[in-house]
This record gives sequence, C-alpha cells and structure tokens, in this order.
Amino acid sequence: MLITKDIKLADVILQNYHLIPIISRFGIKFGFGDKSVGQICTQYHIKTNFFLEIVNAFNDKDYKPYEKLKNMSLSLTVSYLLKSHYYYNKVKLPFIENLIDSLEWEGEDNLKNKNVLKKFFRQYRKEVNEHTANEETEIYPYVLELEQNYNNTGKVSVSFLEKLKTKSIKDYADTHDELNSSLLDLKNIIIKYLYPAENKDITVQILIEIFKLEKDMTDHTELEEKVVIPVAEKIETELKKRY
Amino acid sequence: MAVKFSFLIVEKSYIIRSGLMQIISNFYETGVVNELHNVDTLLKKLSEVNADVLIINAKLIAAVPELILDIRKRFEQLKLVVFAGTRREADEFPGFDLKISVDEPKHLIVEKIQSLINEIKPKKDNNLSENLSEREKDVVKQIALGKTNKEIGEALFISPHTVITHRKNITGKLGIKTVSGLTVYAILNNLIKIEDAV
Repeated sequence: MLITKDIKLADVILQNYHLIPIISRFGIKFGFGDKSVGQICTQYHIKTNFFLEIVNAFNDKDYKPYEKLKNMSLSLTVSYLLKSHYYYNKVKLPFIENLIDSLEWEGEDNLKNKNVLKKFFRQYRKEVNEHTANEETEIYPYVLELEQNYNNTGKVSVSFLEKLKTKSIKDYADTHDELNSSLLDLKNIIIKYLYPAENKDITVQILIEIFKLEKDMTDHTELEEKVVIPVAEKIETELKKRY
Repeated sequence: MAVKFSFLIVEKSYIIRSGLMQIISNFYETGVVNELHNVDTLLKKLSEVNADVLIINAKLIAAVPELILDIRKRFEQLKLVVFAGTRREADEFPGFDLKISVDEPKHLIVEKIQSLINEIKPKKDNNLSENLSEREKDVVKQIALGKTNKEIGEALFISPHTVITHRKNITGKLGIKTVSGLTVYAILNNLIKIEDAV
C-alpha cells in the first residue's frame, strides 16, 4: 500500500504496526484521532514529503525513496538518522540487554550462558555506540557544513576551506558490515547453539527484537549509503571545484 | 548454512520483471535476486553479483546474439534461462539451459526452474553437514583465544592460508562470522573456558 498525505495516520499504523517506532521517532504521540498524515505532519512541523518517503520505504521493501530524498535537504535525512541513533543506543539495545539479563538456565550452566551472551551483547552495543558517535561527531557535521556552504553564495569561512582541502567524504568508507554480522551471529547462536533457557518466552522475545532491530538498521544504512553519502560526495566535488 | 543461489533478471518491463521476481522468490534456494533493465552492463553485472542463474528476455538477446556466446565462454557454471512471448519464439534460441514462455502456467514454470536449481545444487552443496571436524574445532578454539591467523598456523603446524580456508568453512557451517560470535560458540560448546576468552 502506498501511504499518502490524505490517509488517516491511525489506518497507516493499523495496517502495519512495524511503523510504530518510526512514527515515534518523528516525535508523534498517540491519541491523534482521525487526523490524516498531512494534518499530523503540519501539527508537528514535520516536512510531509520527507515523512512520506521514510514511512513508505519502511512499509514496502520495494519502495525506493532514494531519488526523491536526494532532492530534499540533507539536514532532514541527517536529523532523522540522529533520532534513529538515539533509538538504538538509548531504547532498543538496553531493552534487549535487559531481556538477555533475565534469561535463566537450570543448573550450573546458568552463569556461564548468561555471562557469555551478555559479554557478546555488551561488546556489540559498544561497537554500535562507537560507530554512531563517530558519525555524529565527524561525518554528519561535515555533511551539514557541506550543504550549508553549497547553498550559501556569500563568504566562506577559512576553517571550512581548510576542511574542504583536507577532508574527503570518501574516507568515511563504512563499517556497517561488521555490525550486521554481529546481529546475524547472535541470531544463529540463539536459534542453533544455545541450550534452551527455562524462560522460553523471553528467548522468543529476544529473537523477535533482534530481527526487528536488524531490519531497522538495514533501512538506516541504506539511507546513509544511498542518500547522504552520494549527495554529500557530489556537493563536495563541486565545492572543491568552486574554491 | 543452506546453499543459496544468486539470480540475475534482465528485462525492460517493470511489470514482467516483478512477475519474475515473484516467481523466483518462492524457491527455498533463492538468495539474492538482482535486476537489470538492459544488456549494456550485463557482463560487468554478472561478475559483480556472482550470478548462478541468468534469466533474460529473448528480445534482448536477439539484438546481440554474440553476447550469449561470450557469456557461455566466460561464465561456464552459469545457467542460462531465456523467456519469450510464446513457446515457439523461445525455441528459436539455442544454447540455453532452460526456456520459458510468458503463456505457460505457473506450475510448469516453477517445476522447470526447480529442476534447474536441483541440477546445480550438488555442485555448491559441499558443506551441508554442520558438524565441525576435529581440525576445525581446533581452529575455533584458537580464534576464541584471540590468536591471529599466523599464530594459529604456528600452533597447529599449518599455513596461514590453510587457516583462512578453515575459517571460511567454519563460518559456512555454523553461520557465525565474527570473532566474538565464534568465541561464544566455543564457550557454549566447552571448547574453551570463559575465563580464557579474550
């Protein structure tokens, strides 16, 4: 289903509940009655076109939003990516870690299994944290600065010119693969090799959470690789020519 | 890990392409499915995606018949499937492993593609058994202890190159790729003690 601005947001959610975290990432709170997507976007000062591209891409894996997003301001995509980072680091990962923490095994393996899983997950969390922190302090600010200076025909600061000379967006070749592999490993470990825990409902919950997180992160990476990096690269090349 | 095949569909029309995608996605063995709109970058794409099966519209071939000979020569293992508007049209193209036509019913098309998949399966299917050999267990143990390929080679009296081959096979069998993941596996299976892990 293609989501448009005239559809009621309630219907959108009822049709695909996976959009719930995406919508809350935009700051939208429930209890919105029969308002349409367009009305709610206006109420929350969200750019409707941008919102539609993001939810449609998440809703339908064959929907490719990249071309349209490339024509919108990068600051929109970047601010959305920042919100996803928050969601991963502060909401989802701690939640999964708590679930892992509450697993119980019978007998002497309890401590071993718990510790080994926890250690693995902590390590993964740390990697995600470092990865997103690097993007937030290095990549995104540079990308935004590129866009700002590209649109600005006035005077350019010396410090930016210096950056333009020394930096290259290409240097930020990504390490998403490693993060992805860790999630895949964790799925295989739990599904195939971990001795079943006593509280199997929690095991099920953990697995479902991992699958959801994986899908969310894949979409996230695609936004970076197919929108932010190529657009920034293009702007960078032109700015390097200009100055 | 189950063996998955990579498909490449070459077709101009979006409607037909998505129809083919829909059919292909039904097979258990289906891995990645890539699409191309024309034959311009076909050779490049084939090596890029490491395709096992190429499905191409007869009309696109008709314009460049020599291309198929070239593909045959370069990609010996690749299975070639041509599809056309009618069965008679499809028959006009020799040198293909399979011919399908748009007017065939679903079950026929599915059966044909499944038997093609079965044909290539044994060739790729060399490590379906998920049990690690004793040697592979030794390697997992060393990885979990935090050793480098060179160190593992020295410890087990094998070349670093052999270590890499073992690692590839281990990942293929277990579905675990990262060092931390393999460490978890090693501890859960009592190959090493948790205190010894890095």
